[in-house]
Amino acid sequence: MSIGESIFLLAIAATMGGALTAVFARSIVHAMMGLITALFGIAGLYVYLNNTFLAMMQILIYVGAISILIAFAIMLLGPDSKKYTGFSVPGKLISALAVAAVSVVMFVRFILTNLKGDPHAVYAVTAKDLGRIFTDRLVLPFELISLLLVVAIIGAVMLSISSRNSRGDK
Amino acid sequence: MEQILKILDIEGVRLAVGLLAVFLFVVVNALILTWAERKVAGHMQLRIGPKEVGPYGLIQPLADAMKLLGKEIITPRNVDKPIFYLGPIMIFIPVLVAFVVIPFDSYLQVRDINVGILVILAFSSFTVLSILMAGWGSNNKYSLIGSIRSIAQSVAYEIPLLLSLLAVIMMTNSLSLKDVVVAQKGIWFIFLQPVAFIIYFIAAVAETNRTPFDLPEAESELVAGYHTEYSGMMFALFFLAEYTNMFIVSAITVTFFLGGYQGPFLPGIVWFLLKSYFLVFVMMWFRWTFPRVRFDQLLNISWKALIPLSFINLLVTGGLLKL
Repeated sequence: MSIGESIFLLAIAATMGGALTAVFARSIVHAMMGLITALFGIAGLYVYLNNTFLAMMQILIYVGAISILIAFAIMLLGPDSKKYTGFSVPGKLISALAVAAVSVVMFVRFILTNLKGDPHAVYAVTAKDLGRIFTDRLVLPFELISLLLVVAIIGAVMLSISSRNSRGDK
Repeated sequence: MEQILKILDIEGVRLAVGLLAVFLFVVVNALILTWAERKVAGHMQLRIGPKEVGPYGLIQPLADAMKLLGKEIITPRNVDKPIFYLGPIMIFIPVLVAFVVIPFDSYLQVRDINVGILVILAFSSFTVLSILMAGWGSNNKYSLIGSIRSIAQSVAYEIPLLLSLLAVIMMTNSLSLKDVVVAQKGIWFIFLQPVAFIIYFIAAVAETNRTPFDLPEAESELVAGYHTEYSGMMFALFFLAEYTNMFIVSAITVTFFLGGYQGPFLPGIVWFLLKSYFLVFVMMWFRWTFPRVRFDQLLNISWKALIPLSFINLLVTGGLLKL
């Protein structure tokens, strides 16, 4: 087994194991740790695909930032809160189908776009290429995302201000 | 010599030698720094510091290490076992990864990755994660409060840390640590980017949880913070990681602002270690000079001063580069 294959297998194992833990864990903190493991495994897959930059970004943003945000949310709600069990069976079915449909669509699209290309080609996307694409071809979506983030930040600030005021009234 | 270089060229051998060297360095570095910390603290308080064990107390850290090794590892009841055990192990991932990309000399670098600095910054988030795991897994209120403080602190200080390094990266046009060092052949970036240097160093001290930013382990209020429940070697692992992090942070500062391994007369590795350990000394100096900040002050420094300042610094840098 070559180094590449072992990286691939390790990454797959981490992703799948983490995802399963996230779904089946009893404690919400364990579920969070599972999710982080899965996200880290995906970073490993990026390394396997020869894109270190994307892998590092995955770790920096998902393992570093998003997971800490989730930790904050868990601590805010109380980590001992029990799993909500009141979901109805049709509701579960519909959400499962929706998730499955999205994955199938993504998978089919991925297969269709990659059937044309050379399967053994190595694409090394550097940080420079990505930066150029973001400020050139994809500038509109890029700006829209930043607008969305600004709106979210302003919303968060407004919420915290209003909650602080209501606390002051008491 | 040629024979050695030929053997070193094989990927597996290089990796094994590199890992061994890193482990040795981590341990020796921690031994020296615990001794240095006591000596520095002693002299700053007009004491002498350790002097009984060995000449100048040099063997004291070895005696301490032996004591820690011999101690029983206690697992308190009701801890979250997998998380409790994983915490001190996970804290070593960023430490080991950082050593792979730091250029100790022009040839002494395990691997020159073209996104080198991102590797260090990305993996440094594992430190927070493992502190969170330790705090949560311990099932102890002091541990949990300590680790929550650590999270809030690292969220606040990671932003100015990244932004200050970004200013340098904009000047060098590369994320590789080696390119950053080579770009400082004429003039060190501390002279071109003094604001970024100060912001980075403050944020770095905060990221290592050192005084005056040591709220996660504030001993006068939280017993020991996130590592309250750990004993013996598990405690020693946190300790090792803290001292190694001090060195890594200083090494990044040297690489980015103080010309890295470059310097006259002496070989590069000597210059690199001299500069790095000087910064480590400055951090110890901080510890005995500044009192611990309050938590609201801590967050205010970052959100209201460092982040706006680093954004302005970034804008000015970008503007001047395009002129």
